[in-house]
Amino acid sequence: MSTRVDPNFSKKLEAYGKADWNECYHCGNCSAICPLTEDGFLFPRKGIRAIQMGLKDQLAGYVDPWLCYYCGECTDTCPRDANPGEMMMTLRRWLTAVYDWTGLSGLLYRSFRAHMAFMIVLFLGVIASFLVFADFSIPATSEGLVEINAFAPSELIHEIDTILLLALMFFLVTNILNMFIKVIIMDKSVRVPIYLYFVKVWEAIFHFGTQWRFSKCEEKRWYWFLHWFLMSSYTLMFIFIIFFLDWFQTDVVHPWYHPQRLLGYYVTAGILISTVYFVWNRIKAGKTIFKFSHHSDYIFPVLLFLIAFTGILIHIFRISGMAQATYITYMLHLAVEVPMVTTFVAFSKWSHLAYRPMGLFFANLKKAALQKQYKTQLAPAT
Amino acid sequence: MSNAVKTGVYFCKHLNGHPDSIRLNELYAFAEGMEEVAQIWKAGDLDLLDHRKLAQVISARGINRIVLAGEKPGFIQPMFSKAMAAAGNDPAQITSVSFTEQNATRQKDTALAKAILACAVLDVPFELAAIPDEVDVNPDTLVIGGGIAGIQAALEIANAGKKVFLLERTGTIGGHMAMFDKTFPTLDCAACILTPKMVEVGQHPNIELMTYCEVKGVDGIPGNYKVSILKKARRVNLATCIGCGNCSEKCPAKAPSEFDNGTTLRKAIYIPFPQAVPNKYLIDAESCTYVLNGKCGVCVKFCPVENCINLDEKDAMVDINVGNIIVATGFQTFDPKRAEQYGYGKYPNVLTSLEFERLVNAAGPTGGFIKSRTQDKKGNWIFTDEGAEPKSVALIHCIGSRDHNYNKYCSRVCCMYSLKLAHLVKEKIPKAEVYEFYIDMRAFGKGYEEFSERIKEEGVHLIRGRTARVEEKEGKLLVRSEEIYEERIMETKVDMVVLSVGLEARADAPEVARMLGIDQGEEGWFVESNYLTEPTSTFSGGITIAGVCQGPKDIPDTVAQGSAAASRVLQTLMRGKIRLGIKDLPPEKIIENARQISPLKMEVES
Repeated sequence: MSTRVDPNFSKKLEAYGKADWNECYHCGNCSAICPLTEDGFLFPRKGIRAIQMGLKDQLAGYVDPWLCYYCGECTDTCPRDANPGEMMMTLRRWLTAVYDWTGLSGLLYRSFRAHMAFMIVLFLGVIASFLVFADFSIPATSEGLVEINAFAPSELIHEIDTILLLALMFFLVTNILNMFIKVIIMDKSVRVPIYLYFVKVWEAIFHFGTQWRFSKCEEKRWYWFLHWFLMSSYTLMFIFIIFFLDWFQTDVVHPWYHPQRLLGYYVTAGILISTVYFVWNRIKAGKTIFKFSHHSDYIFPVLLFLIAFTGILIHIFRISGMAQATYITYMLHLAVEVPMVTTFVAFSKWSHLAYRPMGLFFANLKKAALQKQYKTQLAPAT
Repeated sequence: MSNAVKTGVYFCKHLNGHPDSIRLNELYAFAEGMEEVAQIWKAGDLDLLDHRKLAQVISARGINRIVLAGEKPGFIQPMFSKAMAAAGNDPAQITSVSFTEQNATRQKDTALAKAILACAVLDVPFELAAIPDEVDVNPDTLVIGGGIAGIQAALEIANAGKKVFLLERTGTIGGHMAMFDKTFPTLDCAACILTPKMVEVGQHPNIELMTYCEVKGVDGIPGNYKVSILKKARRVNLATCIGCGNCSEKCPAKAPSEFDNGTTLRKAIYIPFPQAVPNKYLIDAESCTYVLNGKCGVCVKFCPVENCINLDEKDAMVDINVGNIIVATGFQTFDPKRAEQYGYGKYPNVLTSLEFERLVNAAGPTGGFIKSRTQDKKGNWIFTDEGAEPKSVALIHCIGSRDHNYNKYCSRVCCMYSLKLAHLVKEKIPKAEVYEFYIDMRAFGKGYEEFSERIKEEGVHLIRGRTARVEEKEGKLLVRSEEIYEERIMETKVDMVVLSVGLEARADAPEVARMLGIDQGEEGWFVESNYLTEPTSTFSGGITIAGVCQGPKDIPDTVAQGSAAASRVLQTLMRGKIRLGIKDLPPEKIIENARQISPLKMEVES
């Protein structure tokens, strides 16, 4: 089998992040210090080797970056300052762009301006449609209730919501399919028996819910907890918005102990606390994992923060019966949410929520299939 | 005066890299002030791709010579050649001058940089204008450091019939080499080679041995230095001590032995090792009960010689006059406690190579049998004869070397001494599994590659892959590395780990450099005046360097450099004259010399 080499690959990859992979002299320290690497999925050194040699096609089917949770130990102890941890981060961005068949992802990652322009257009679009379709003059009812669903026609919002999310889900699912083809189908060295898909899928679901592997990174428990807090918060928020918008966005004010309100508070607290933590650490740039920040690493938490912040403001204005303030905040809330969801869910940082468990799933499939293959090869021929 | 020389000077932008680099503005002003200079270009003034534009300037200003000044001026020379040719001038009239070549890199060197520039403008080679004056030389020489480099240099000079003061900080000469068990690649016993030399030094009529002494100050100029030396209180009279050892036998106070690298204990009154030169006792003030508490004096009671031990002796200062100084201060090993992941200091059976060197030595803590550390009744981990023989040993290369977190450079000796240690393990415990984890195997010298092949044939597992961490698991040490060739993670269980620590400049090297007026490089090693052709001389005339203090090297190279340094010194002693260093030559004088011999002036006059 021939291997195509792209000699300029290492240069091209620099657009996706920053690491000095050309510094590496292949001592293997990074792989050996990594608490997550294992035989068959040896990272980060193998990735650096592939980058240096320009093995672009091989890297496209490389699942290892999704198995790394970036504790930063490899970078801390690297004798060459080659920054292997950031290299894995860069590869994750690049892989996201590779899986995305529309090419939008690569553009958003490579260019801060393109990303911002894209979001500003969507932001202004949302504001404009509110100014056209919504009626800001509706006062609160005589009982002091603010009816958001009267101010902005809820059927219309629901329809747009559904169309947008269906489109994004379509992109995300096709990207995952693309990933599946690149990782499993194109790899001729291993054939995965169908039944394994059913055996191994539970593990992927478990890791999606708990991010258990993350906790294996030593001395990163606190970070893991915050990351999990953030992840669980916005996943819950997404579930509400996609499947239970009628229940979540009501004009009735429930008592404080009502599950809808409690869950809402949990989601808000999770997002506010962890995004502030992450952004603050990125600005400080103290710990290794926060030393280098790609623009998507800032935009994502900042937008999440704004969404949660406007969300809780809507809640406060609504229960205190301030109709106009509620309407304006609601408009801003959606004007931030739509660009965030559109650019991030299928095309940028958010998508790792899907790729990580899928990466782990595929890696486990490969591992199990390989073990099975070896067993049959080694079994005595009777 | 139509054929007057008009020079254009270009300054490269490389000069501005360091905050402490030469003051460029002063250089610009100086260049503009020279009558030969018609035009200066600062870095960035020129579009370095457009030689036509430059040619126009050159013909407009009537420039007929160019000087390119900077760090690597050769890079832009082609562009100026083209421009000169296009302007109808001789393209050969371009002189490149590098400041770094003459070690003028820092702010304090600005005056020297001016002199370098002036020489280039006047078309005089710098070396020709900067010939320092000669003065009479004091025939005595001081060698600082009694390791193998200092011993070799001292012997060479003394054998030529000249007097040498050999100064050593500790109680005996011998240095690090005395601590080694074997040497690579010949596997000679280190002591068998070194001790005859040490004895020769001790008995040589031309060598005055000054052990337990430190240099505190150096005054004067090359050829005539006055050196103040601190004679630390030895508290034992060197002249009368007969070395019987009664004192040491009865001494109640103990301290870790420096010579055995802390693997054994010695008394407070001690002899560093049995073959020490001078073979006389000394008292360590930091552990002596009498010095600490004012009570004891057992040694005095048992000493058979009257007035030999004087517990109240105080440190003294002496001044000596010498003409040349050879600096052979050596190195210190990297402290592996700085790299926590290897567990040194945490796990008792993780040793440094120097400790292991003592462990395998027949005069070491276990009489040359390799044993693991065991816990004594007080809970201290010590080496005893009862310790278990390790069944497997891992040697980890590049601890503190080739690592941007510690030292970037290669320490040059670790690969080879690790191979040697691997051989010693195999020799003493043939059944032991020995692993070596290396990044690259650097077997660079005569017979070294063959040695490495031989060790491989002995069954030592040579594994390419740097060890990332050492952990303790079920009483064994778990060494984790990547096996690069097989692309798999290796977790090797061993009984003992030896860390091949690298070499570092001594912690007091800055102090020594300051006293002697020599320079330290980025990594702390003393700077030689030319790496390739003047490896022993410095920019200060009478100061010569030898051994590892100039850069990591193995024993053969150290010995060679010791002899080379001695030959430098003997040159001056034979002639009776010594040239001052370039440092002793005022830059103004260089410029004056250059003006006198400048060929440009003659051209103008004719």
